[in-house]
Parts: sequence; C-alpha cells; structure tokens
Amino acid sequence: MDLSLFQDPIFLAQNLVDGLSRGALYGVYAIGFTLIFGVLDILNLAHAATFMWCAFAGYLVMAEAELPLPLGLAAAMLAGAAIALLLELLAFRPLRREGADKLSAMISSIGASLILVSLAEAIFGAQTRRFPNSVLDPKPHFIGGAGGVRISNAQILILIASLVLMVAMGLFIRRTRMGKAIRAVAANQKAARLLGIDVNGVIVVTFLVAGALAGAAGILVALLTNNIVPGMGSQIELRGLAVVILGGMGNIEGAVVGGFILGLVETFTIAYVPGGSDIKDAIVFFILFIILLVKPNGIMGKLKADRA
Amino acid sequence: MKKRSVGWIVAALIVAADAFLCVKNPQDLDRLLINAILALSAFATLHAQLLSLASAGFAAIGAYASAILAVKLGLPVALSIPAAVLACGVLALVIGLPVLKLNDVYLAICTLGFGEIVRVSIILLPGLTGGSTGANLSTGFAYEAMRKTSAWEIVLALLVLCYLFWATSRSKVGRALRAIRENPNAAATMGIDVVAYKNLAFVASALIAGLAGAFYAHSVGSLDAGDFKFSRAVDILSYAVLGGSGAWFGPILGAGLLTALPILLRDGLAFLKDFSQLPNIVNGLALMLAIIFMPGGLAALFKRRTARPSGKAGDSSGAKAEGSIEDAEPDASTGPMLSVKDLSRSFGGVAALSELSFDLERGQILGLIGPNGAGKTTLINTVSGIFPPTGGTIEWEGRAIQGKSAHRIARSGIARSYQNIQLFGEMTVLENVVVGHHTRVRTNLLAAWFCLPSERREEKATRQEAMSLLSRLGLADLADQEASKLSYGDQRRVEIARALALRPHLLLLDEPAAGMNEIETATLGDFILELKARGYTILVVEHHMDLIMKICDKIVVLNFGKKIAEGRPEAVARDEAVLEAYLGRG
Repeated sequence: MDLSLFQDPIFLAQNLVDGLSRGALYGVYAIGFTLIFGVLDILNLAHAATFMWCAFAGYLVMAEAELPLPLGLAAAMLAGAAIALLLELLAFRPLRREGADKLSAMISSIGASLILVSLAEAIFGAQTRRFPNSVLDPKPHFIGGAGGVRISNAQILILIASLVLMVAMGLFIRRTRMGKAIRAVAANQKAARLLGIDVNGVIVVTFLVAGALAGAAGILVALLTNNIVPGMGSQIELRGLAVVILGGMGNIEGAVVGGFILGLVETFTIAYVPGGSDIKDAIVFFILFIILLVKPNGIMGKLKADRA
Repeated sequence: MKKRSVGWIVAALIVAADAFLCVKNPQDLDRLLINAILALSAFATLHAQLLSLASAGFAAIGAYASAILAVKLGLPVALSIPAAVLACGVLALVIGLPVLKLNDVYLAICTLGFGEIVRVSIILLPGLTGGSTGANLSTGFAYEAMRKTSAWEIVLALLVLCYLFWATSRSKVGRALRAIRENPNAAATMGIDVVAYKNLAFVASALIAGLAGAFYAHSVGSLDAGDFKFSRAVDILSYAVLGGSGAWFGPILGAGLLTALPILLRDGLAFLKDFSQLPNIVNGLALMLAIIFMPGGLAALFKRRTARPSGKAGDSSGAKAEGSIEDAEPDASTGPMLSVKDLSRSFGGVAALSELSFDLERGQILGLIGPNGAGKTTLINTVSGIFPPTGGTIEWEGRAIQGKSAHRIARSGIARSYQNIQLFGEMTVLENVVVGHHTRVRTNLLAAWFCLPSERREEKATRQEAMSLLSRLGLADLADQEASKLSYGDQRRVEIARALALRPHLLLLDEPAAGMNEIETATLGDFILELKARGYTILVVEHHMDLIMKICDKIVVLNFGKKIAEGRPEAVARDEAVLEAYLGRG
C-alpha cells in the first residue's frame, strides 16, 4: 500500500467522489433486488439482465432516436418496470400458484436471465455501444480549479438521481398506503391476505418498482462507463449480491448503506492498493464471504426482524 | 398409454438423437459424455435441495489443475486427474462448511460469486493458466503437449458414477437424502444430520464437476477461461432441472437432450444456422418450462404409479406376522427422566412459553393440555430441538439439552410426532418408517457401494422390523402406499410408527388423536398404554379429554405459556384455574 498517497488531500477527495457515485449506483441497483427478496423471499437472479436491457433502452432513446436525457431516463425506468412485470407474470407467478418452493423460483429466474442476455446478444451483437457527446458532455468539472477534484456530468447526475430515488423509495415504503401493504406482505403473506390486501397486486407493484430502479441503475451505469454491452449485467450482479448481504437480505436502508460501503471500498482498493484494479472482483467476493461467515444477517439485520 | 412407457419412448428418442449426433460428428461424443458427468454433479446438489451454481467453477479448477499438473510437472493423467478432483473436494469443504449452516439462499449467492472469482483468477494468472484467450497459450504454456484421454475412459468414468449413484440411492444415505428433500425438519427429528448431508452433497458435486473438467481439459487439449463462464453454470443446472432432481438418471437424459437439441436444430433448420445464441436460449427455456410445467423433470415420467406388490419385506417372518413393539431399552438410572426448568420461548416479543417447569418420571405418561395457543406445541418443538428456548433449561437423563440441534436430540433418545403431519409424503409408508431407523443402521456408504452381504442383511432386517411395527399399528396393508395418499388418521399412526422406529426412551406425541373417531381414539389409548407397559416414557399433547384422563399419570395445564396447574388427572379436573381457563368465568 502506498502510504504517501494518503497525504494527498485532493487524491483522497477524488476517490471519495468516485467511490460515492459508484456506491450510489450499487445502492439503486440493490434496493430493487433486496425489495423483491424482502417481499417474496426469493432471489431474482434476472435483475442484472433487466438492468442491462434498460441500459440499451436508454441508449436507443437517447443515441438512436436522439431524444433528450430526461426521456432517456424515463424510457429506461419504464423498460425496467415492463421487463420486471413480464418476469413476475411468466417466471414467478405460475410457480407461486403451484405452491412451488423458493429454489424453483430462483431456478426460473436464472432461466429467464439466460434468455434475456442471449436475446440481447442476438439483437445487439457483441460490440460496445457508446453515447455520442451530445447526450451528456463528457468534459469534467474541477472543484477547486484546475488540478482540483474532477467530477463528470455523469457523476453529478448519478449523485442527484440516486439521492432522489432513495429518498422517494424511503417515503414510498414508509409513508404511503401501498408501502404499508408491501411491508405487510413482506412480513406475512398469509396474514396480509386475510386482512384483505390484494397480495398479487402488491407483488406486481413491487416488481414494477424494483424493475424501474434496475432501469435507473442501468442507464446511469451506462452514462458513467459509456460502455454498453449485453454482458454488462454480470459485473453488477455479483456486487448487488454483496451489497444485499452486507446490508441484510431484504433491508432497503441496508442496501443503501451497503452500496456506499462497497463503492468506497472498491474505489479505495483500486486507488491505494498496488494492482487493486485487478483484484477488485476478488475483493467483492471476499467481502461477501466474510460477511456470510461473521454476520450472515448483514450489518443492519433482516427486513423481517425490524418490521415484525 | 401408461406414463412409464412415455418415459421409455422419450428416453429412446434422446438416445437416438445423441447417437445420430455422434455418428455425424464423432468429436461431439466427448462433449456429450462430459455434459452427462456435469449433469450428475448438478444433480448431487439439487437432489439435496441445494441450488449451487459452482459446477462450472469446480470444472474449471479440475480442468486447469489437471492440465497444469500434467504439462508443467509432467504427471501422468492417472495422477493429475485424481489430484485435481481432490483439490475440488477440499475447496468445496472449505466453502460449504460455513455457508451450508445458513439459509439455502446463501449457497446460491456464494457459489455464483465463487464461479466468477474462479474465472477472473484464471484470467489474472496468465503465467499459470495462459490467461483469458487462446492467444496467450504461447506464453510458455502448451496444453497441446498433454496426453489426450479417449472417449472410452470417459465412458468408463460415467458408468462408474452411474453405478455409485444407483448404489447410493438404495442405501441409507440415499434414503436420508430423500427424506431431507421432502421435509428437512422431520428428517432432523429422525436423527439425520441435515447439514452434514448437505455438505456431503456439495462436496460430491464438486468432486464430480472437477472430474468432468479434468476430462474436458484432456479431451479438448486447450483451455480458455470463457469455457467456464456463468452461462456454462446455467447450462449444467438446466440439464439437471430438465432431467429432474428426483432420480439420478434424469439429469443424464437432460444432458443428452440439451446437448443434442441445439445442434440438431441448427443443422436441420436453415434459418437458425447463424443463430449462435440458440443453445443458451434453448437451455434458458428448458429451465423455465421444466420448472414451471414439469417440476419432476424427465425422471418423473419413470415414477412408479402403482405400488409394488406388498409384503416383500415382511413375508419371511411368520412369527412376527401379527406385528410387535420392542420393549424400551432398560435403564437403571434414577431421578426424573426429563426435567424442564424455567423454560421460556418468545417470538418477536410474544411469549409463547414463560418460565415453565415440570418433571417427567421414567415410565410415566405426562399429559400436556391447555387452550389453543397455550404453548403446548412450542414446548414440544423446544424439547425436540426444532428451535432453541430463549431461557431456562431442559435436562434429559441428567444432561442439559436445551439449544442442541434436533438430530442430536433425536439420537439421544427423544422421538416425536407432529400436530400438523410431517411425513415424507412421496415416500412409501414403509420407507417412512425405515427412515426412522436411520440412527440405528450401522453399515456405511462403502458397504453399499461394494454390495457387502452385511449391508444387504441389515437392510432386510430393518425392513422386517419396520414392517412388524406397521403390522402392530394395523398399517401393514398400506406399507407400499405413498404416505401422502393415506387418510388423516392413518397418517397419524404412520407418524407414531416412524417415531417408534427410533427406539426412543421418550416419545413426544403432539395431538396423536386429532382427526380420529371415538373408536380409533380408544384403540390409540390402549396402544399408548401398551407402550407404557413396555417401558416407554411418553409426553402427550391432546384435546381429547377422555383419552388424557384415561392414560395419563400426571397432567400439566398451560395457558398463555404459563403453567396454571399440575397434578394427577382427577385433581386437575377439579382445579379452579383450569376450569376458568377452559370455560371462562361465568
């Protein structure tokens, strides 16, 4: 580890900015993932494929149809909601109706994920797509003059959009009637049904919201990395799992905190550890494994526990 | 047409398609065989109700380890392959031991991460592995130098594996795995160490995947990290899911079908010729369609619909035709057998049991009564180790057992039945009872693999004993029926037979007479008294007051988790607090 780097405040601030924007993305992605786990107790392993398709949807709207950025964001979130709805109707609901176990639901989502990724490969090919500069000016801003902390338009957009989405999610889950219904179904599906809650309706809303968040994460990651390929989901998939475990399976606040922690750890590993960018995937897995060993319920506990 | 003949036709079609494929493209034979081995690897975990996505990762380790040992150290294949396989097994143990104690979802997550890490590590170690692409192979690493394995060697390995799976499935281990599959909680209360069996399954799966990977390395002669990416793990899973996780031959059929189908489709249909994603889409569809519409997979087509002719097990023992119960093992120790002190259990702030204390004397029958929700079943669950108490102690034959795992408690001599029936529904009545013998069957897996006569003898004796138990409970005629097909009352009696098969010192019966009519209840009462006469100690939860008054030596009355009365039946029946709890104050 290069200790002299720690004495450079600008380098430190730079990594904080990069780490926080990276972490915000992980958080947005993981909220949707953990929400579905919280409500249905299943891993939706097609969440990463949804994420990838949304990046393409946003790309098509902004780069091919040349529509403005807000429309691109909206298109990505709509696409995410639509794909998640399809997943619920085709991959999950039939199994729930049969009373199949959770293993089956995970297997079904793995199949759906493979189909989604393969279709994207067949339609879009393997080559990388990039946004034209007209979508988002790639020239970075410097805080504190030239040589100061660099922040790109994409990072500013990510920080603002993620904050808005996270606060909106918090309010939605805590304050709205539907949010209460979602919590009720998460706590006890049977009891919720007996209380007259339309469980399938709540589950559909859960998928729509989770899909829209995957969509937002997808388009924001695409804008940040400017590297859109059908395989882009696999990178975030593993990180999403690590974040969700870190924050506690099903815990939304945990996903946000876990996202920021992972984003910062990853950025700082790359910056301060020699060869860090090569081992960053290994670090993710290492964190995942250690958390499973030491604190399997995550740093913030389970959704069910704090809502019982 | 009978379902099984459909199965045979489907199997024949798959074999024909594979034969056609291999005649056309002889090099596809190796691929087919290796996929079949990988399918068995996925089956090993899926059969134990584990979702592991590590097969591709272990195959990669097996492949690279064997190749590196063979090329860099010049080891012969006969050494490099076993060494690579062993490495996979050790690694699986290291990952599985901590993770399999947790909820099953964590294994899926961990194995998914594991597969990615293996792939990334291969890319990051070009000096050792040749890196990410074939182009890097020239950097001092020539896989071409390896001796190639022939298809016959892989065929031999596959046949040996098939034999081992077959022999395991009809042994004690196979039975325990089926029981875990059907109902892990009930399996644990039969003395089956569920976590150990899951570890066994995970390690077996890794060993087999490693073997498949090693064969792959020596068959193809070149390796590439891309051969083991996540979609490969999904392929392997799809073989086992389409084939069915209930019987070992299903996944082999699944691999046969899913290996041949995309190739034949592309050869046969011109417009699919350049559709390189076809195999993945076929596998993805196979996964979804199979799990939704055909959860038993292809193997379910071979399931026996009607029961085999009964009596096979019991016929040789004329003396036991009436059926009998063995006496409880004599026990010279003194003092109360079970001593519960200040036992508490709460669920998220609701106290289901609070500071409950009572003693149960050897050879007695204790009745536990109380209104619904009084905590009776919670007590049985705590004593049998389904969950730990939040406070207090349970002393059993002088040793503290609170918080011990269910299988340990079962092994120490406590057996139970369940209020809401927990039989292994798809197993036969006889098999259910034989599972109850689990802790007493001594012969191990090796004996089963080598068909040792001692193992056959013991299996036969166990079946006879189980049959005899069933006869005594009037269930002999139903021995070959699927347990879930029985009437409610019959299922309750199978549960009692299964619990007795453990030859327990203490029997916990949770509402054994629920759903029985008066005559059945009276017969059950006589039976419980016979058990007492034979030296069993019994704790019974029941709502039939006639039964309780007739059989119990002592009654403990619970209300809202607290003991409100304790004493001889006549005394309790007159107790003010009891009358109030049951009837309310007028």
